[in-house]
Amino acid sequence: MKLYLALILLLPLLGGLFNALLGRMLPRRLGEAIACGVIWGAFVCAVLVLLQFTGPTKIEYGSWLAAFDLQAPIAIYLDQLSLGLTLMITFVCGLIHLYSVGYMREEPDFARYFALLNIFVFAMLVLVLAGNLPLLYLGWEGVGFCSYALIGFWYREEKNATAGRKAFIVTRVGDTAFGIAIVWMFQISGSVSITQLNAMGSLIPAGIVTALGILLLIGAAGKSAQLPLSVWLPDAMAGPTPVSAQIHAATMVTAGVYLLARMFPLIGGSEAVRAAIALTGGVTAFYAAASACRQRDLKRILAYSTISQIGYMVLGVGVGALTAATFHLLTHAFFKALLFLAAGCVITALHHQQDIFRMGGLKERLPAVYWPFLAGALCLAGFPLTGGFFSKDAILGAVFERGGPLYAGLFALGLLTALLTAFYTFRMLLVVFHGEENLPHPHPDPPREGEGIHSALPSVMTVTLWPLALLGLLGGILNLPSYLGVHGLLDGFLGDMPGLMRPEPLSHGTEMILQLVAATVSLAGLGLARSRYAGSRRAAVLAAEEAGSKLSDFLLNGWRLDDLYRLLFIRPFERIARLCWKGVDEAGIDGALDGLARLTARLGRLPAAWSSGRVATSLFGLAGGVCVLLAYVAWLITG
Amino acid sequence: MIVPLEHILILAGLLFFLGMGGLLAWRANLIMMLVCIEVMLNAVMLVFVGGSARWGNADGQLFAIFIMALTSSEVSLALAMVVYLHRRKRTVDTDVFSEMKG
Repeated sequence: MKLYLALILLLPLLGGLFNALLGRMLPRRLGEAIACGVIWGAFVCAVLVLLQFTGPTKIEYGSWLAAFDLQAPIAIYLDQLSLGLTLMITFVCGLIHLYSVGYMREEPDFARYFALLNIFVFAMLVLVLAGNLPLLYLGWEGVGFCSYALIGFWYREEKNATAGRKAFIVTRVGDTAFGIAIVWMFQISGSVSITQLNAMGSLIPAGIVTALGILLLIGAAGKSAQLPLSVWLPDAMAGPTPVSAQIHAATMVTAGVYLLARMFPLIGGSEAVRAAIALTGGVTAFYAAASACRQRDLKRILAYSTISQIGYMVLGVGVGALTAATFHLLTHAFFKALLFLAAGCVITALHHQQDIFRMGGLKERLPAVYWPFLAGALCLAGFPLTGGFFSKDAILGAVFERGGPLYAGLFALGLLTALLTAFYTFRMLLVVFHGEENLPHPHPDPPREGEGIHSALPSVMTVTLWPLALLGLLGGILNLPSYLGVHGLLDGFLGDMPGLMRPEPLSHGTEMILQLVAATVSLAGLGLARSRYAGSRRAAVLAAEEAGSKLSDFLLNGWRLDDLYRLLFIRPFERIARLCWKGVDEAGIDGALDGLARLTARLGRLPAAWSSGRVATSLFGLAGGVCVLLAYVAWLITG
Repeated sequence: MIVPLEHILILAGLLFFLGMGGLLAWRANLIMMLVCIEVMLNAVMLVFVGGSARWGNADGQLFAIFIMALTSSEVSLALAMVVYLHRRKRTVDTDVFSEMKG
């Protein structure tokens, strides 16, 4: 088991190093095979670990940071939560690596791509398996770096490089809060081990627990693109689509949820922290779902829906329903990766066209993409009996169960979000795949050279969609509601995790009613989308949306959050920077130095005039000197 | 001694500053400058001779003879250089020779 766990971490690292160092010198096939092979190898190891798994274990491989009280060894803490995530990460990333082989088949810089992708998986697994917070932070920063490098993968375009920097800087805000929290925890308890910290939850004063919880929440919000640090994720779509699927949908962005769930025994002791987490999640879910309703870039719709779905997970953690949150995390990873990969197929087939208003009627042309995409959309919309339905409903049920005005409000907001989710999901599906080909008329310009559909997608791209579609659709089996008379697999698996706070199970009647409500809401959203984007009203609605309005502009720009930040932070910062640059540096420091230099140069030119080389000047100097000397002698004599 | 030392010194000073004034003023002609230098040297010699007479010591006169020998050799050298300079630039104006400009 120790060996398998080490291999899970080492294989992706070795693959990444191999591709980074040698990838460019070796044939392309070999690099691709190694990149995919190490991830699948890690998956096999993870399955072997699962077979041997008996209970939470701590395994130490060696010392890493050790100074006085600070002990942060290279240690793995394996429990149900981290094992489940490891399985999911290695499986989904393995599929995405395979897909990348097809997607990046014309990319000359494949070695850098696969090296970063592999190292990302390594960092993500370190994050998930870490037994202490510094090691977790190492993985946390590692995934942040890989995310930055991969968003700006096509860095020759200024826009992509800027998006990468934006993601890096915004997440850094959260990381700083997380870093402060780690140092503070060490200062209070003298330990950075996750299990020891969690066990100490009751000993730490409530006020400090609240502050720590808020700091961790900020850290999680940065990584998981929750309000108010959500602005980087839509822009992060500048990267290659498999990267969006892997990093910005399935794995890295859920790291915040994982962190909160991991530290929940510690921070969950504070009622205020739990309320703050739930509120952040609920409001973010609604904010992003509303924004997604008016996006017109296929990948941005998916980005906002990711923010929204992670909002659900955070909400779930906030109400203490860790099982439900993890359940949603897993199903979301499957169906969101699926949606992104399918979107990548569409975008490739349309020669990098991402505007959904310039798509349409792709159902007949790309059936191999349509059906998996439909499956993903059904899951995302929470269509009854899909994986997404059960997991989302589990979270909403837990929120409902909490009661009280705050949680009742969040429950209502969650339902509204579910309605919006179903609406925008089917808006996307209907606009892209149904209707007539190359719709809207407001674009009278003739199709450009080479535009049109090229249906020869590499089969590796479409084949990888199927396992994800199956897992997304059937994900519900992982944790069926108990009224069906079965015990949820995931409930049982995660249930005996130490330190887990188990919410009171809902009565079967309430749960059934809640699921009926959720199903109705989802179907209502579907119906609403259908009435607008299918049938006779489609053309008129699309034209109206194309024209835009105040509200739709507001939503299209993500509630103008970027503008708010520009006003609040960027502009004052630029002003201060300009003051420091132009005022202090150029005018003050440089000015003083330049002035001094000019002064000495001018002073130097005075005696330089004496060395004109003319005999007369020397003679006058001599005569003047004699006169001065004589005058001095005369003064000496008379004085 | 009939002539008092003060008079000799005044005469020598007058001669010296006359020579110096001429040296500074007559820059347009190198030969005239050499002449002025001779005048200044003569003033110095006069002081030596006057001092020698005043204190009854022969050292001053010895120096005067030395200076005479020195000036004659100096003038012969200087005139040779004047000829050389004139050959180079067809002029004896010292302001034209400013190659030593730093």
